[in-house]
Amino acid sequence: MKSNTGLVFALPALIVLFMLIAYPVFYTGWLSVTNDQGQFTGLQNFSAVLRPRVTTQALWNTLWWVAGSIFFQVLLGVTAAILLNQNFMGRALVRSIALIPWVIPGIVAATTWAWMFHTEFGIINYMLTSTGALDEPVGWLTRSNTVMPAMIAINVWKLFPFVAIMVLAGLQTIPQELYEAARMDGASYWEEVRHVMLPQIRPVITAVTLLLVIWALNAITIIYAITRGGPANRTVITPIQIFRLAFENVEFNQAAALSVMFFAVVMLIVLAYSKAFASQPGEVQ
Amino acid sequence: MRRSRFTSRSLRRPGLNRPSIFLGCIVLVFVCLFPFVWMSLSSIKVLNELYTIPPQWWPEHPTLANYHKVLFESRIPRYFLNSIIVSVAATGLALVLAVFAANGFARFRFRGRSFWQACILVGQLLPTAAIIVPLFITLRVLGLVNTYWGLILVYMIITLPLSVWMLTSYFKAIPLELEEAAIIDGASRVGILFRITLPLSLPGIVAVLVYAFITTWNEFIFALCFATDSRVKTLPIGLAEFSTEFNTDWGAVMAASMVMTVPIALLFLVFQRHFVGGLTAGATKG
Amino acid sequence: MKLLKLAGFFALSVLSTVTMNTGAQAGDVVWWAPNWGEERARTLAQKYMAANAGTNIKIEVTVANGLPERVLTAMRSGAAPDIIEVQHGWVNGYAQGDLIVPLDDTIQDKEDYVKAAINYVSWNGKIWAMPYRIETHGVIYNKDHFKEAGLDPEKPPKTWDDLIAAAKALTKSGRYGFGITGGGEVGNTIFRSLPFIWMNGGDIISPDMKKAVLNSPEAVKAVEFYTNFYKQGLAPKSTLENDGLALRRLFIAGTVSAYQSGQFDLPAIQKENPNIKLGAMMIPAPAGKQTAAVLGGWSYVIPKSAKNPVESKKFLQFLNTTENQGYYTDTFPARTSSIKLPRFDDSMLKPFAEMLPYGRPVPVHKNWVKIVQAYFDGIQRILLGDQSVQKSMDEANEEIQALLN
Repeated sequence: MKSNTGLVFALPALIVLFMLIAYPVFYTGWLSVTNDQGQFTGLQNFSAVLRPRVTTQALWNTLWWVAGSIFFQVLLGVTAAILLNQNFMGRALVRSIALIPWVIPGIVAATTWAWMFHTEFGIINYMLTSTGALDEPVGWLTRSNTVMPAMIAINVWKLFPFVAIMVLAGLQTIPQELYEAARMDGASYWEEVRHVMLPQIRPVITAVTLLLVIWALNAITIIYAITRGGPANRTVITPIQIFRLAFENVEFNQAAALSVMFFAVVMLIVLAYSKAFASQPGEVQ
Repeated sequence: MRRSRFTSRSLRRPGLNRPSIFLGCIVLVFVCLFPFVWMSLSSIKVLNELYTIPPQWWPEHPTLANYHKVLFESRIPRYFLNSIIVSVAATGLALVLAVFAANGFARFRFRGRSFWQACILVGQLLPTAAIIVPLFITLRVLGLVNTYWGLILVYMIITLPLSVWMLTSYFKAIPLELEEAAIIDGASRVGILFRITLPLSLPGIVAVLVYAFITTWNEFIFALCFATDSRVKTLPIGLAEFSTEFNTDWGAVMAASMVMTVPIALLFLVFQRHFVGGLTAGATKG
Repeated sequence: MKLLKLAGFFALSVLSTVTMNTGAQAGDVVWWAPNWGEERARTLAQKYMAANAGTNIKIEVTVANGLPERVLTAMRSGAAPDIIEVQHGWVNGYAQGDLIVPLDDTIQDKEDYVKAAINYVSWNGKIWAMPYRIETHGVIYNKDHFKEAGLDPEKPPKTWDDLIAAAKALTKSGRYGFGITGGGEVGNTIFRSLPFIWMNGGDIISPDMKKAVLNSPEAVKAVEFYTNFYKQGLAPKSTLENDGLALRRLFIAGTVSAYQSGQFDLPAIQKENPNIKLGAMMIPAPAGKQTAAVLGGWSYVIPKSAKNPVESKKFLQFLNTTENQGYYTDTFPARTSSIKLPRFDDSMLKPFAEMLPYGRPVPVHKNWVKIVQAYFDGIQRILLGDQSVQKSMDEANEEIQALLN
């Protein structure tokens, strides 16, 4: 069916988004090539924002942050979803409990974790030292080699339930016939996971991963609330840098320039992704 | 008993063995609940038990004073109402738009499809710091600053992109044969959507609902900037109101967080028991 | 094409149901007041409205979390309220961004204001905000800990050497003698470490703001003095994650025996741990030199897009009479005549009041926030053990110089 029916279905959403987002996108683009008096300055903001050493460091940190977060979120999320798709007593309750990290407001979760990780007050250090697992408290948030992993761990904890819920929904929509067919062939449980479940939920995992990438690229609440990018820029990521430029330094033009570059990079990822996404089977031919 | 429901099926599915399910659940529950338990214990501690060295697990003098403060001496109840109105409306609107759009993307091949699908995400690709000012200007022009509708629209555009993408992937998983049969029977496109696609992808719809609701329920920075009047402020702002410049009433923040979190988890519990479980069981037989 | 029409209709109907508007009316003065002063703000507003029929003061409560974002977003979108309370340090960014109006015509008897406060909010020959609240840090200490360490709690340290000696004596059995900050928001560490640089005759940038001077011997020695509390184990291990609030909690828990803070910490400590016998002292200075402190506090600004600037200015004058300013401030008032009010006659407050004349504003430079960020990163590198004091300050100095050109 090569008509425009599909586009018509998508049109209301596109129109509504366009009406509210077009101006912000245009505005950001305009800010990025002007100064604060509104005069056109070409690429000056871009070169100004690329100069400081922190920009490069932020870029590397962002890569780590995104890669680390996504890998564990997807791994744990899919595992939890497969587990929660089993039949057992109290399943509904466990599913609801699994939702909790995601429901807790971000700023509260961040503060609670910062408190639990604290060298002196922290319950984590207390438990590890009192059981003898550690000789003395570890400065999880103050040592350069543990602070980023700690941030990633908190982010994973916060969002793996999202992956689990999304993937679980995908698992639930798998038609019973597919399982039955596999069983006729005498498939074991793990073969079923590999040959029925994972292929069937591939589109879901693809979509979820892309969205997680976008989120991780925009997520500042956890890091900003706990370390503000410190110590000594060990956890500064590009969105935090943009936030600092805009709201701490009142340099909206440079912030816009950085946003535009950021936008371009992410857009490339999204386009590559949606091509791969589109090539998957499932539409009316 | 519960198990009889499943044994009645033609073929029983193999599953993980009991011990590994049990172990998996223990780990999962522990990981998810550990900070939560710490939070809930904090909410019933008195002030001088909150920060001790070494930290103290159980409160010696448990108190409900924090809950009393949150429920009767703060604006939290009003903000709760505001949050419900905003979240329900934004979630509902986003879902309706997303269902149609996802149907278009999942079921039809048309020129520039992947381009349009990428376009849906454009609004999510700009950092909050970049879009908040122009978005405020847009709302001002529409006369929507400090109104429910302002927040609802903003939240709708925040949640819509993900909803479209997720629903697209769920719709794609539904076998085409079912729809083709309906077309032969002469059903319209919209008819197919409502009679076949939606019922079959109900778990996916619930997942998207949960996503949209939680996202809007917890959103802070837009609510802070676009709703400055107490009549429209939402719960996350209420949490921030327990902090002053140099102090935070931590017990009250924790109690308020409980008030914010627990109803949602309970709602989900009720929801999936009576809604998701029943319908998927029915659908698999069709 | 029926579907196309349907789609368009749907999109329009979503957006067209949104025509209601709850804008402020003429004669309204919208005042953004922080939640910690809400009650007092309402009392003052009531008083003013009773005397000025026809003016409606509408208070919208702000919170500390996200306040700079909220203020900037509103100002830049052209939908700001009439009066906003902001920290002194934010004012010059707004002035240089053309977001607020000058208030030279509003401030009456300027001579009565603490000069440093007026300097703080001045730029380009104009006064851009009305300071109403000022404060500086002092040192808060635990008198019982002093006694147990064999120190006289009534004769607190006066010089740097005294302070180091006291901190060493206090540090034992899980206690730390002198807590410093090295984490949290940048301001925490600026307020606590920059005064030491000033006392020692150093600075971050030269007075004409052309040259970075952070790697001068005076500044380096002061930074070394500050960071050594941590390096020598006299400050808690958690220093790099501690802000002012964490230090106070460590003090309340009895883990820290002394730390720098403002008088706003005193009620909180007394409430959470009434057993602590509190002492306060001026910040010790190098022998033979004068002490110093960063002046902090809050001002009122009127945004450029305010709907009712005339009435707002009148209301600001009412808020800043000697009596009302003294009533409204959380710490000290910016008017010298208000400080004489009975409310401020408290022996605990005395060291803090004595610090006020030594309070200095930070330089009014466009890139100040980035400059202090570079300085703060340098402090964190020292605390992390990445670099020596000299090397770290050299690097920070270089970054700051680039921001001045």
